[in-house]
Amino acid sequence: MNKIIYLLLLLPTLLLAQEQKTISGNVFDTNANMPVIGASVFASSAIISHKTTIDGVIQGAMLGSTTDFDGNFMFKVSTDIKYILVSYMGYETQKIDVSKDFSNLKIFLKESSERLNEVIITGYQKIEKRKMTSSYAKVKISEIQQAGVASVDQMLSGQISGVQISATNGGPGAPAKISIRGTSTLNGSSDPLWVLDGIPLEGNDIPKNYGDKDNIDNLESYAIAGLNPEDIESITVLKDASATSIYGARAANGVIVITSKRGKKGAMRINFNATSFVTQKADFSKLNLMNSTQKVDFELMLASRSDLKYQSNRGAVARILNHHGEYDNFASHGFNSISATAQQEINNLRGTGTNWGDELYQMALNQQYSLSLSGGGEKNDYYFSTGVFDEKGATKGTGLKRYNITIKNNFDITNKLSVGAALFGSQNKSYSYITGVDAYTNPSYYSRTANPYLKVTDAAGNYVYDPDLIERSDLNLDYNILEERKNTNYELTSNSLKAIFDVHYKINKEIQFNSQVGLQLDFGKTEKFGDENSYYTRKYEQKSRYSDGSGGYAYFLPKGGIIQNWNSDAFQYNWKTTVNYNTSFDDIHELDVMVGTEFRKNNRTLIHTKGFGYNPNTLTTTAITDERAVSLASFETYRKSYIENAYASFFATTSYTFDKRYTVFGSLRYDGSNLFGVDPKYRYLPLWSMAGSWNVMQEEFMDYVDVVNEFKIRASYGVQGNIDKTTSPYVVGEYYLTSVLPGNTEQIIRVQNAPNAKLRWEKTVSSNIGFDLGLFDNKIYISGDYYQRKSSDLIGLKSVPLESGYNFINTNWATISNEGFELAINTRNIHSPNFNWSTSFNISHNKSLVEEIEIRDEDFKPSLKGYSVNAVFAIKTAGIDSNGLPLFWRDGKKISAVDFYKLSEATDGSQMTREAHRDLYSYVGDGAPKFSGGLINKFKYKQFNLKVSANFNIKQTVKQSPSYLPTLVDPGKNYATDILKAGTGNYPALIGYTTPGFDTDLVYNWFNSSDDGRTYNDLDIWVKDISYVRISSIQFGYSLPKKQLEKLKLSRMNFSLEGRNLFVFGSNYDGYFDPETFGSIYAQPIPKVISLGVNLSF
Amino acid sequence: MKYLKYIAVLFMTSFIACDDYLDLDPVGQIIPKTVDDYRSFLTTAYASATDHKVLTTYRGDELSLEEGAVGIEQYEDIFIWNDENPSPLVRSFAYASFYNTIFYANHVIDNKDIMTGEQEEIDQLVGEAYALRALQYFELVNLYAVPYHKTTATTDVGVPITTHYDSDKTYTKQTVQTVYDLILSDIDASENLLTTVEQVLGFNYRFSVVAIQSFKSRVFLYQNEWQKSVDASEAALEINANLMDLNISADMMPSEYNSVESILALEAVASFDIANNASISESLIASYKQTSDRRFEAYFTNVKGVFKTKKSGHDRFKCTFRVAELYLNKAEALAELKEQALAETTLLALAKYRYTAQGLEDYTTALKAMSLDDLKTEILEERKRELAIEGHRWNDLRRTSQAKISKSFGGKIFVLENQDVRYVIPFPKDAQISNPNL
Repeated sequence: MNKIIYLLLLLPTLLLAQEQKTISGNVFDTNANMPVIGASVFASSAIISHKTTIDGVIQGAMLGSTTDFDGNFMFKVSTDIKYILVSYMGYETQKIDVSKDFSNLKIFLKESSERLNEVIITGYQKIEKRKMTSSYAKVKISEIQQAGVASVDQMLSGQISGVQISATNGGPGAPAKISIRGTSTLNGSSDPLWVLDGIPLEGNDIPKNYGDKDNIDNLESYAIAGLNPEDIESITVLKDASATSIYGARAANGVIVITSKRGKKGAMRINFNATSFVTQKADFSKLNLMNSTQKVDFELMLASRSDLKYQSNRGAVARILNHHGEYDNFASHGFNSISATAQQEINNLRGTGTNWGDELYQMALNQQYSLSLSGGGEKNDYYFSTGVFDEKGATKGTGLKRYNITIKNNFDITNKLSVGAALFGSQNKSYSYITGVDAYTNPSYYSRTANPYLKVTDAAGNYVYDPDLIERSDLNLDYNILEERKNTNYELTSNSLKAIFDVHYKINKEIQFNSQVGLQLDFGKTEKFGDENSYYTRKYEQKSRYSDGSGGYAYFLPKGGIIQNWNSDAFQYNWKTTVNYNTSFDDIHELDVMVGTEFRKNNRTLIHTKGFGYNPNTLTTTAITDERAVSLASFETYRKSYIENAYASFFATTSYTFDKRYTVFGSLRYDGSNLFGVDPKYRYLPLWSMAGSWNVMQEEFMDYVDVVNEFKIRASYGVQGNIDKTTSPYVVGEYYLTSVLPGNTEQIIRVQNAPNAKLRWEKTVSSNIGFDLGLFDNKIYISGDYYQRKSSDLIGLKSVPLESGYNFINTNWATISNEGFELAINTRNIHSPNFNWSTSFNISHNKSLVEEIEIRDEDFKPSLKGYSVNAVFAIKTAGIDSNGLPLFWRDGKKISAVDFYKLSEATDGSQMTREAHRDLYSYVGDGAPKFSGGLINKFKYKQFNLKVSANFNIKQTVKQSPSYLPTLVDPGKNYATDILKAGTGNYPALIGYTTPGFDTDLVYNWFNSSDDGRTYNDLDIWVKDISYVRISSIQFGYSLPKKQLEKLKLSRMNFSLEGRNLFVFGSNYDGYFDPETFGSIYAQPIPKVISLGVNLSF
Repeated sequence: MKYLKYIAVLFMTSFIACDDYLDLDPVGQIIPKTVDDYRSFLTTAYASATDHKVLTTYRGDELSLEEGAVGIEQYEDIFIWNDENPSPLVRSFAYASFYNTIFYANHVIDNKDIMTGEQEEIDQLVGEAYALRALQYFELVNLYAVPYHKTTATTDVGVPITTHYDSDKTYTKQTVQTVYDLILSDIDASENLLTTVEQVLGFNYRFSVVAIQSFKSRVFLYQNEWQKSVDASEAALEINANLMDLNISADMMPSEYNSVESILALEAVASFDIANNASISESLIASYKQTSDRRFEAYFTNVKGVFKTKKSGHDRFKCTFRVAELYLNKAEALAELKEQALAETTLLALAKYRYTAQGLEDYTTALKAMSLDDLKTEILEERKRELAIEGHRWNDLRRTSQAKISKSFGGKIFVLENQDVRYVIPFPKDAQISNPNL
């Protein structure tokens, strides 16, 4: 690879012309029989003189050209030149005799079998693949691109071994949760570091408990979401410590390096892409909810049972019975004894119904366009692109719109100095629905609980408020989903600019100086608006309630809407300077040394304003003058926060290769950051790694092994660390205002966290051993890795004696290890001129183990010690007894709930110690899949191609939210049909305090009120193991043949039809939209998308 | 090779510049250094509100509760001394917040030699920190341990002590004597440092010379160190002996933070629930001569036939020490010292501002006729009336006869026997869970 770089750099240098001849011709790809664009065709003095210096380095002047879009080239050389070289990245370089024939040459390039010549871009260095000692994976965007996917993170699913990507939510722009080689932390961020063209991006951390109701409906902007996948060339994932340690402390969870597209030398190339995609409506029937008839019968059953009195006046049936004064009559004498009108009204309910799936979900037609212009001259290259992405989500009221502009330019100022500048600008506008604090109105949740017979509008078109969505027994704040959508608004506009400027200066042939400045600016504007006529505002008004002195209530919230704005302004710069020294001597020693510094500063300002009594016509708010509002955070009108961080790092790497066979590599980095109040000499963390590789292929004995064409063994070891910035050895306070006595407000300093001078930094030690094996001329290419990671001194909150002055303190409390393997196999199954079939398969397995963790005495659930990080614990049930009460296993015997929980009349939860409570549980499985991976098959027949991508998870233990609570069945809510099976199979019967049966009252009391640890949610009936394969994409393409293209004056025209997420095979996940979000009653469905696109190049 | 030199220079300078580069002080955060910082720091501790005085009022004999009252589940089990299996909804007595305040005080004391600023300000601040710490231990030991008895204090179990923060420390219970020794040594240290004689209005939540003397007077009274208590009361009265004349106006209570009597207005003594969802017990009502005792009108209000306290959760009702208590402390100590005449005079000096002219005359006559023992009883009665709903009563019951209390609640009679073990409050559940040594 070095060869090509040097050649390209030196291309412009002209030889003094003597007698000249014109060499011309055409370069083709042997397999595809397509012109190769941008191939280098040149003559070198080395060839002229037939003298080769050290292999890989060519000195002296050369001349030549690059091929145009038809693969044509033409240039003049002196007549005595006998050979020219034709080279192109990824192809074998051809040496052509031009001593006799030199015009209209037909040159066929063969794809390079020597993948070792590839260059791996780590973000700090470009390392030749043959010298690579680390574990990494690289994919080209063209391999993984999918239509209708806003952000690249989701496209990586199933593509790379050891990288687990899981959808968190189906909404537009929802981030994908990525974990590389398991989780190495219990509390901290487990997200990898994203790097764009050498600049680490800020702002990609996903909230730890993203699926939580408080986070899932929040609009957030992520740096990676601002990037148009069309602008990306390739993605490299750095997995082991020797690859990531150069990134310092932030890289403990792995690094994903994005290399963006740049212009190629040659005439301007215009590429246009248009795709329309249809997002399908979610399959609402997956939720298995009761229909109107089932629900009416269910309510009648509840009303007929005198023991089930929970919220017994709710639900339409109870309202009808109460309205006619027939409730008791019905309860004692049955349906036939009640008045005909009441019977009629109840029966009418069976016929009416709202399909909540239609009200909440939609089919949407969406578009995506992009246009790029790229090219390059002798001394520069350029790439401009723009794109629009417009997606309306499958959930009504959600969507994402993105506009992109990318500009990249590189110039060679002299043959030693080159500069590059790149700008990535984007605007992301995402919008969604509003949900309150308790998330009753989250569409996924609401659709599960809203009654099937409830109408949304009445005959006159007026909104019908849900009579069963009530706050308290005496308070209904009138919720209607249509009114709420119409009168509320929630959107986030984030404008983002990433700018990169680099300078390369080649001091001499061995030393190169690089400096790169990257800026990242993100401005986010969030607006949340609830009109006066919205449930949201009515609910907020409750916070302003006060007693009016005459037995009633008054509200100090002014009339009008509520408008909230969050303006965030984030900035970072990253200035990186490196000096590279690459040399080789005595033909067999190669040495690459890099030293560098990196300085980084970031800051973020967030301003949150709230306006009350907002009038959407005058755009004004009304001030609250009531003094009761002063002390309430909910009515605070302005809050600003500002965070600033600085980092300084120094690093060096050395790589030595002997005889192209053995490479050893070492890296060291000192990471400094602004630890408040800490002595400068303790602000630095040392991080280091070592690695080695053995290129077995270069050994003589391999000459006799024909089947193997590539074989390398790698090993690495490294140490990474992390400092918890929230805990200080010092007493650190924050300013607040308070008033101890009336009329005197003072500034106070309050300590936020208990200081801990004994806190050590978190440390992760990783080791990796792997191989790369190419067989039968790389028809089969296998990469495998085995790794171990041990993270010790993990920081976590521990409860401390209250006498210390605190409840909790951050301490080093846990050690976690991860162990696993990864295997990637790429095969070219059939390779013929008209038909190609290739397969990529990857599989990985990761097993985490919590080796050490302090047991918290107050915990209800067992400690993770000895289990995996995502261990699932459950209580083993043994079916139900004749009264429908759950039975449990203990010491191989079935026992009743009374014995199991030691229930008695006085039971209040304290009959068991917490330790005894923990002992109720058994380990039932790992929440992380045992195996995960992907399978991609590509077929090509003449102008047609087909790609089928699938990803799979095998054996993952998941827990659903109980479909009902047997003591709290509310007739006003809808339930999954599971509830109809209550009292049969393993489903516990519905019980009340007076339900007949032995000790039913004790069991009722326990599950209803004294079970503080909420063990009902942890019964093993809610747990299961699932495995599934998701066909994430089926892509069918057609490229116009060359003849037609010539007529149309196009260089390429492709049509594609793609179906995403069409099928999921595997275990049953009834009750939820998708296996990925199994258990989350708040998640939006992952959409099925069908897209049709066209791609044109001129 | 000259480039290499430049590069070397560049690297060197960046190394050197780096320490400054990383010196970012986060906005809104601070490591206290100056005396002003430490003042703001200690104010946090002063501002930490505990409701233990409110809860002991529920536990004592000053209130009467209705079964159906709003929020009753939070107080019911305290009211009927149900410590065995209380409802999970019951309010927990303060524990962590005392130690949190102690953490702040300890930190100020630990840094007394390195904080920067005027020495006088430092002395005053550190003096306050000692006093605040002593007050926390005094409240703790009087909630969670038996009252001080000279003979048994060295073996009676008290509360854990910490005077220095250490994240790995274990905390074991110290004897009552050890706790009182710490309280007294802190008071001494405070006395030596405090320079502000009296705090101005609005800042009178902070300790001053007069406040530390008042505190001392109370500590010695609780220890039955009568003469020392008299001395301390007199020292405090020398600075402030003002009493509010309720004959002039009964619109304001003498316990309010802006009354002339206020010495330290730090602790909350009442709450919204006490004022609205509880009523004054019959025995307390009966102890007032409603026509001649001006306090009755000042302290209580008749709502739909039941009497409720006018003190509520508002900050203006905060009260820890006030002048009237000094008179009562002094009278009680003098009586114990058998100085009957002096005790009477002291009591009458207070009574003058509390009773109508006629009432005072009757009261004087009554006192003259009393034996020493009757006088002692009367002083405690007067103390109960004067300091009603001020968080004194429970402690006064505890440290004196530990009398039998019977209460009616929900149609049942509940009894706290004479010398009942429940005169000591058990450590809160969360404290026991987090510290197995309790």
